[in-house]
Amino acid sequence: MSITLDQVTKQYQGNPVVNDVSLAVAEGEFFVLLGPSGSGKSTLLRAIAGLTAADHGRIALFGRDVTQVSAREREVGFVFQNYALFRHMTVGENIEFALRVRRVKPAERARRRKELLELIGLPGMDDRLPTQLSGGQQQRVAVARALAHKPKVLLLDEPFGALDAKIREELRRTIRSVQRELGITTVLVTHDQEEAFALGDRLGVMNFGRLLETGRPTELYTRPATRFVATFLGAANLLLRREARSGSDLAPAGPEAQTDSPLRDRRDQEVVAMLRPEEAELAPDRDALRTTFLGYGHVEELQFTGALERLRIRMGVEGAARSSDGETSAMPPVWIDVTRTQPEQRAFPLASGQLVAVGTRRIHVLPTPLSSFTVCAESRESAARLMENPWLVDLTIRMQTRLSAQVEPLVAKDGASPVVAPAGVAVVTAGPDCPARVRRLLARGVTPVLCLPEDAAPPSRVIVHFAGQVARRATLAVTASLLRHVPAEAVFLGILPGDSSERTRTAGLRQLLDVRSEAQAGHGLDVRTELRLGERIEELLRELEAQPGQMLILGLPEPGSLPDSFEALLTQSPGWPVLLA
Amino acid sequence: MSGFRQPSVLPGFGLTLGFATFFLSAIVLLPLAALVLKTASMSWAEFLEVVLSPRALASYRLSFGASLVAALINTVFGFIVAWTLVRYDFPGRKILDAMIDMPFALPTAVSGIALTAVFAENGWIGQYLEPYGIKVAYTWLGVTVALTLIGLPFVVRSVQPSLLEVQRDLEDAAETLGATPLYIFRRIIFPTVVPALASGFTLAFARGIGEYGSVIFIAGNLPMKTEITPLLIVIKLEEFDYNGAAALGFVMLAMSFVMLLSINLVQAWARRGVVAARR
Repeated sequence: MSITLDQVTKQYQGNPVVNDVSLAVAEGEFFVLLGPSGSGKSTLLRAIAGLTAADHGRIALFGRDVTQVSAREREVGFVFQNYALFRHMTVGENIEFALRVRRVKPAERARRRKELLELIGLPGMDDRLPTQLSGGQQQRVAVARALAHKPKVLLLDEPFGALDAKIREELRRTIRSVQRELGITTVLVTHDQEEAFALGDRLGVMNFGRLLETGRPTELYTRPATRFVATFLGAANLLLRREARSGSDLAPAGPEAQTDSPLRDRRDQEVVAMLRPEEAELAPDRDALRTTFLGYGHVEELQFTGALERLRIRMGVEGAARSSDGETSAMPPVWIDVTRTQPEQRAFPLASGQLVAVGTRRIHVLPTPLSSFTVCAESRESAARLMENPWLVDLTIRMQTRLSAQVEPLVAKDGASPVVAPAGVAVVTAGPDCPARVRRLLARGVTPVLCLPEDAAPPSRVIVHFAGQVARRATLAVTASLLRHVPAEAVFLGILPGDSSERTRTAGLRQLLDVRSEAQAGHGLDVRTELRLGERIEELLRELEAQPGQMLILGLPEPGSLPDSFEALLTQSPGWPVLLA
Repeated sequence: MSGFRQPSVLPGFGLTLGFATFFLSAIVLLPLAALVLKTASMSWAEFLEVVLSPRALASYRLSFGASLVAALINTVFGFIVAWTLVRYDFPGRKILDAMIDMPFALPTAVSGIALTAVFAENGWIGQYLEPYGIKVAYTWLGVTVALTLIGLPFVVRSVQPSLLEVQRDLEDAAETLGATPLYIFRRIIFPTVVPALASGFTLAFARGIGEYGSVIFIAGNLPMKTEITPLLIVIKLEEFDYNGAAALGFVMLAMSFVMLLSINLVQAWARRGVVAARR
C-alpha cells in the first residue's frame, strides 16, 4: 500500500473535522476523495501531505510511518486550488524550485524542466511569468512543479475549482494521462461527482469528517450503503418501503413531520430504498409497463435539459385508488424524480398534469436499520415537545427521512396487543417512565428504540456497548448507520468483571479488536475501542457522567427485553440519549 | 488626448484633470513657488553663505542622517510588527493594530515630551542606560528615537497589505517542494514584500526629514550638535531673517526631492530589472 491512514483524526476547537479515517490507497491508484464543502476532505489531504498535523492516528507512505515527519521530508507533490505559483518567478523557475532546493545541477534541472513542460503540454513556456498564463495553463505548471522532484505521491486539492467547464475537462484529461504515464499514486479532492467518476479508479465519500464509503465509481453509484452517498453521487429518490398486508407501500422519505400517520399493520420491516431517476419507467397504464409497477402519479414538473428530460411525479391517492386491491389510502404525497432519454420521450410524450404509471427497473435497498423516526408518547403535548428537539429534527433532515408521531396511553387497555406498531426507530422521552415505555415497545418487537431527554443537546461523543454477543450484529449496524449522520467521535466500550483473570482479559481485548475489524469490514466504519474492568452498569454510568454531550448506543442482552439493572441508564436526570439496539 | 479617455465612474476626464491640477497648484505648487521666489530674491553670495554655513551643514547631517537611520530601523522592526499583526491571532491584536496609528494622531510635541521624559537620565528607560554611558535624550540618538516613533506607522501600514497577500498556500507549496522555513522566507515571502517595504522606507524617511515637533523636545537643540534643519529655519524666522529661512527651506526641498525621486527610480528600475533579468 502506498498510502495507509489509520484512525486519522483532526479537531478544530473540539470539533472533529476529520474523524477516525482509515484508508489504504494502492500503488499507482488514482483515488478521489469526494464530499461537500466542510466534510474534512481537504483537511485529510493536507494531513497526508504533512501540512496539517493529525491529532490522533497514523499516516504511512510506502510503509514508512510519516505521522511525525514534516511536509518537507514526506516527498509528496501537492497541487492547490488556486495554483499557488510563485509569481515573482518564471514558469521555468517555478518548476525547478524543488530541484533548486535540493541543489540539483543546472544541466539536470534544465533537462527535467524541459521534460515536464512537454509532459503537461506547454513546451517552450519556460520564460513566461505565471501572470502571463491562463488559469488552465497555470494549473498545468503547478502540476509540473509538484512532479519535479519525482514524488512518490501526488495530492491534488480541488485542482479544477477555479476553472471554467471547458478548460476543466481538458485539464482533467491531461492529469489523467500524466498520472497513467507516470503510474504515480494520486489522491484528488473534489466536491464534483462527475469529476470523481471521470478520474477515480476508486472513490471515497466523506461527510462530517467521516469517510462514509469507498469503492469503484460504478459500485458506489449502483449499490451505495448510505443515504448520503446515494444522494450525493447523482440524483436519487429515497423511499421508505414496507412489506405490508396489502402489498408494497411507499411513504415519503422527507423530513415533513406529521402526527398520527395511519399505519394499518403490525410492525413489518421498514427499509430505505433508492431509486435512480433513470431507473424509473413511465407508461400510460400499468399493463404497458415493462418493469415492476410502483404506483400511479401525476406529472407535476417537466423540464427539458437537452439530452434528458427531467420530470417530477407526484405519486398520489388516485394511483392507490386504481391499484389492484382497490383500497384507498390516506398516504401523504410522495414525489419521484424521473429522467428520460430522447427515445423514451418520443415513445411516450408527456405533458404537465398527465396521469402516468410508474415502474422501476431497479431498486436498491440501503442496508440501514435506521429507516425513519416515530415519536411514541402518551400525549400530544409530550410528543410535540420531543419532536421539537433540535437534535432529532437535525438528524431527521440529515438522514433525509421521516419524523412522525404516534400517541398511545402508557399502559395498553385490557392488556390487549395494540394494532399499530411504530415504523422505523421508536423515540420515547427519557425519564422515570422510560423503562415502562421501552418495555412496551420491545414487547411488540420494536427496535431500535431511542430514549431522548427532551432537552438533549447534540452529542459530541458516542459510547457504544453491547451486553452479550446476541446484540453484537444489531449494535454494529445501528452504530454504523447513526455515526454516518452524527459529527461525533465514537468509542466502543468493552466491559469485563473487575475480578477477571488474565486470560479473560486477553480474550476480551481480542474480542474488541474483532469488533473493530467487523465494523470496518461490514460497515466501513472505524471506531476506537477501550476496555474497562468493573460492573457493567456502573462503568457505563461513570463514563456517561464524566462529561456532558455524550450518548449511548446499547445492545440489549436478549432481544425484546430490558433487564432491570439497565433502568438506571434511562432514568437519570439530566440524562443522555440512549439508543437501544 | 482622446485616446486616454475611458469610461469611468467619475464623470469627465477634463473635469477631474482640471480639478487635480488646480488642487495641486493651490495646495502644493503655489507655496513652493513662493519659497523659490523668496530665495531667488537673494544674491548667490548671500544664498551660499546661509546654506553652506557650518551650522547649516551640521544640521543637514543630523536631519538626513537621523532620518535615514530611523527609516532603516523602522524597515526592520516595522516588518516584524506587521508580520506579527498579520500572521498571529492573539488577545489584544486589534488594540495593538489600532495603536500603530497613534503617532499619526498624537500631537508631535506630546510624543516628543513623552519620549524625553522616558529617555532622560532619570527617566524610566534612561536610568538603566545611564550606567553604561549611553545618553539618549539631548543627543543625536534621541533625535533618531523620535524619528523612529514618527516613521513606524508608515512602514507597518505599507507592508501589512502585501503580507496579507502572501498566501499561506505559497508557503505550503514551497514546503511540500522541500524548502526550509528560512529558504521560504528568503525566496518566497521576502521578494513579495520588498516593493512595499521600499515604499514604507521612503515614506518614513521623507517624514523624518520634515519632522519638527517631536524632535525639538528630545534633541536639546545644541547648535552644531543636536540641531535639525527645520529648527534652524524656525530660529531664522524668529530672527526675522526670512530670506535665510527660505534659503534653508529651498535646500531641504531640493535635497528631499532628489532623494525621493532617486529612491523611486531605483525601485522602478529594480522591478523592471527583476523581470528583465529573468527573460
